[in-house]
Amino acid sequence: MMRACKNYLTFLWRCTRIAFVGDWRYYAWLGLLSLFCLVGLNAYAKQIVHGLVVTGMSDQVSWGVYIANFTFLVGVAAAAVMLVIPVYIYGNEELHDLVIFGELLAVAAIIMCLAFVMVDLGRPDRFWHLIPGIGQFNFPGSMLSWDVIVLNGYLLMNVHICGYLLYCRYDGRRPAKWFYIPFVFLAIVWAVSIHTVTAFLYVGLGGRPFWNSAIVGPRFLASAFTAGPALIILAMQVVRWITADSPGGGVAPPPSGTPAPEAGARRPATLEDLELLASHLPQFASVPAEIRQSILMDAVVLDVAPGDALLRQGEAGNEVFFVLEGRVVVKREEKGRFRITRSVGPGEQFGETSALTKTPRAATAIAEEPACLLRLPADSLSKLMQIPQMNKIITWRMTERLMITDRALMILRSIVQVSMLINVFLLVNEIFKEFYSPTAHVASSQYLYFGLHGYHALVPWIWVAIAFNLVAMFLLVLPLSRSLKYLNVACVLAIVGIWIEKGMGLVVPGFIPTPLGEIVEYSPSLNETLVCLGIWAFGILCYTVLLRMAIPILQGTLSKATEGHGDFYHRSTETPTLGIPDVKTAHSR
Amino acid sequence: MSDIHKPCACSPDKGVSRRSFLRTSTVLASGVAALAASLAPLRELTDYTSIEQFMQKYYKEMTPQEMEKVLERITREVEQHYKIRPHVKDYKPMDGVEFVYCLNLTRCIGCRKCVHACVAENNQSQNPEIQYIRVLKLPHGSLDMEKGDHNYAPSSVPEKGFFYMPVQCQQCKNPPCVKVCPVKATWQESDGITVVDYDWCIGCRYCEAACPYFARRFNFTKPSIPKERLNPNMSYLGNRPRKQGVMEKCHFCIQRTRAGKYPACLEVCPTGARKFGNILDPESEVSYILRTKRVFIQLKEELGTSPRFFYYFDV
Ligand code: SF4
Ligand code: SF4
Repeated sequence: MMRACKNYLTFLWRCTRIAFVGDWRYYAWLGLLSLFCLVGLNAYAKQIVHGLVVTGMSDQVSWGVYIANFTFLVGVAAAAVMLVIPVYIYGNEELHDLVIFGELLAVAAIIMCLAFVMVDLGRPDRFWHLIPGIGQFNFPGSMLSWDVIVLNGYLLMNVHICGYLLYCRYDGRRPAKWFYIPFVFLAIVWAVSIHTVTAFLYVGLGGRPFWNSAIVGPRFLASAFTAGPALIILAMQVVRWITADSPGGGVAPPPSGTPAPEAGARRPATLEDLELLASHLPQFASVPAEIRQSILMDAVVLDVAPGDALLRQGEAGNEVFFVLEGRVVVKREEKGRFRITRSVGPGEQFGETSALTKTPRAATAIAEEPACLLRLPADSLSKLMQIPQMNKIITWRMTERLMITDRALMILRSIVQVSMLINVFLLVNEIFKEFYSPTAHVASSQYLYFGLHGYHALVPWIWVAIAFNLVAMFLLVLPLSRSLKYLNVACVLAIVGIWIEKGMGLVVPGFIPTPLGEIVEYSPSLNETLVCLGIWAFGILCYTVLLRMAIPILQGTLSKATEGHGDFYHRSTETPTLGIPDVKTAHSR
Repeated sequence: MSDIHKPCACSPDKGVSRRSFLRTSTVLASGVAALAASLAPLRELTDYTSIEQFMQKYYKEMTPQEMEKVLERITREVEQHYKIRPHVKDYKPMDGVEFVYCLNLTRCIGCRKCVHACVAENNQSQNPEIQYIRVLKLPHGSLDMEKGDHNYAPSSVPEKGFFYMPVQCQQCKNPPCVKVCPVKATWQESDGITVVDYDWCIGCRYCEAACPYFARRFNFTKPSIPKERLNPNMSYLGNRPRKQGVMEKCHFCIQRTRAGKYPACLEVCPTGARKFGNILDPESEVSYILRTKRVFIQLKEELGTSPRFFYYFDV
């Protein structure tokens, strides 16, 4: 128990420390975000002193961009977790690593949501009145109290799932299913609920016909499942781009002129080598003596120096490697750039995918320290795989990989595609209902789309949003967007379009005209805008830091095995070249 | 915190470590300085929340003694601020009383005297201006509020071809504003008046969005009332001065009506368009009106809010 606690604290401590470590680009980025945060904080301090007059809100339009951003971000948070469905329900391996990034995005989005609600309060000092048990909680009467519960519950759930999975990865053990799978499924249902509850916040107001319509809920969901995964598509490419050419584990990149894979000292393996493996890989102990004997026949032990390439992406090959000592880094080339997909330590294997599936090597493996490896041919691996314990550990390790493949992005694209179609379809429904039989309640829609009695502040915005959404929709359904360039354009358009449509386009027209028919327009003030920018910067800062912690853990460079290893590296001194020039030629050959 | 230089402590070179320690301290110090600078506007904060106020209990959970203390605090605060000693009381609803309001649209001439009497009686902020009553100028023959003019010039009233409709809180029997409040800071009392506890409201403005009659007003900044116009006869749930960031609304002049007087808007009305009383008393004027008038209007009846505010015509 004590040891587990200590281990966990070390984990937290190392995660915290690594958040402060990076190259100059990382510091510059953090600095920039912090600057925006401080500007936002300054604007908020002014708002605290003078009250909400410093915003553009009034008694007539009593909610503005704060609540608009809140609404949009609830959607992002809800949708991020929707990636979980393909992975856990349909067992789609391509999205496996994206799940953690998606959930971390959800965490950052909820933090922003809570901040937006907080700055919207006239009396933030009385925040505790909202805490169930201590204050007065109007549950289940008020939808806002539902929102407090579902948002905080969702935050906790995601923190738990991500935290637990990352900790297990750090610790090098297999996550206990009962400890997180129930929460994963709960989170899926919950994700729908945070959205529905937020929609009901508006739908429940009978005095506001613009909101009081059953279609608002479904539209919320559709637009959320468009904007959320679209945001993840972009975020994942950023992650991919950042993790590209990052050298791993405190070791300088290998010198150029790497020797051929056959280089390094080799000798036949002995039973002692297998014992050594078993000491790092307890599951190996279950391998009976006769199988050990039989796999010894073709087993080879390699002693390699840092920088030696052991296998190369694109090559044929059917051997599997187990690390006995030292570390090996596995990199994958995508569009001329290398990304570390993981760092492999003693007791772990690489190359098993090709060995099992007879496909070409998916990545290149290079020793990052002097290393000692056990190499087995494919049929020896098959023998090992017949032992249940070995099978389990090897398959599990096969799936736990930081691979953001283009295929994974394409799966996300199809989610965005379908949601966007539904989103536009629901929009058409709503427009038809409002304008074909224009009841007295059409005034808000009239104001939004065409302007009312000479007031038309929102008209250009909403048409831009609609245009963006339509262009995005066409791009998404056309095969064109299978190319990432067009997909990215479509995602940006969809996100901006939905931000306008669902943020400002939903919140503000609900107040115009007022229930007594008065028209007072709203536009955010400078101070209000700065507060919003501050919160966005803070959210992005949170996400950056979370990624900074998660990526090395997923790559295997930050793990229990590397404890006290000098696990921090400054990238500033390193050149971005990888120094394995022959890989590309080998690949193109 | 001073440990973030640790990453470099792995280096055996002490000098490097010291230099990096210096660097970390500089970064930290400038960070703290930047934080302080960004929070500088807070120095202008004049109206702190005192511990006493922060810890104040929910209205319905206070014992009479605790209420006494709170009333004392309010008295003290008002005296400090306005140099006038007020009489602050917590008026309770009377048994067997349910207030309703009736308004004769044939008589109302749109002079807005009620609006200003209300402001004076209920210590509403004059800068920015907060008014509970909105008078709409409507063309004859229509009750469509979208055609209403909110900003007509009062010197020329009444104008031909128009009628005037004052709208204030309708004291709904089924008030949406109460339902949505996440912290129960607003509720309906047994005499039908929906009140706000200004010391409990968190200022989320959800009730303002929920009210179908535009009856709620928010203190977007510190309200200001000229000293000489302060009404010293105050009630806790009624007209005591409000703070920045809380919601307020018409409360049928709790401090008057619960003491057996008419609301200020009624008293000032030059045409006698306004009638107020206890609907549970069959002898009251409002009971008589609702019994005998053939047509009366509850605004937006279709919303199911069931207002306690009735409009009628002389026919
Ligand atoms: S009129 Fe508005 S503020 Fe008054 S009780 Fe009804 S909903 Fe509430
Ligand atoms: S503004 Fe105040 S009274 Fe209105 S819903 Fe929010 S907390 Fe309740």
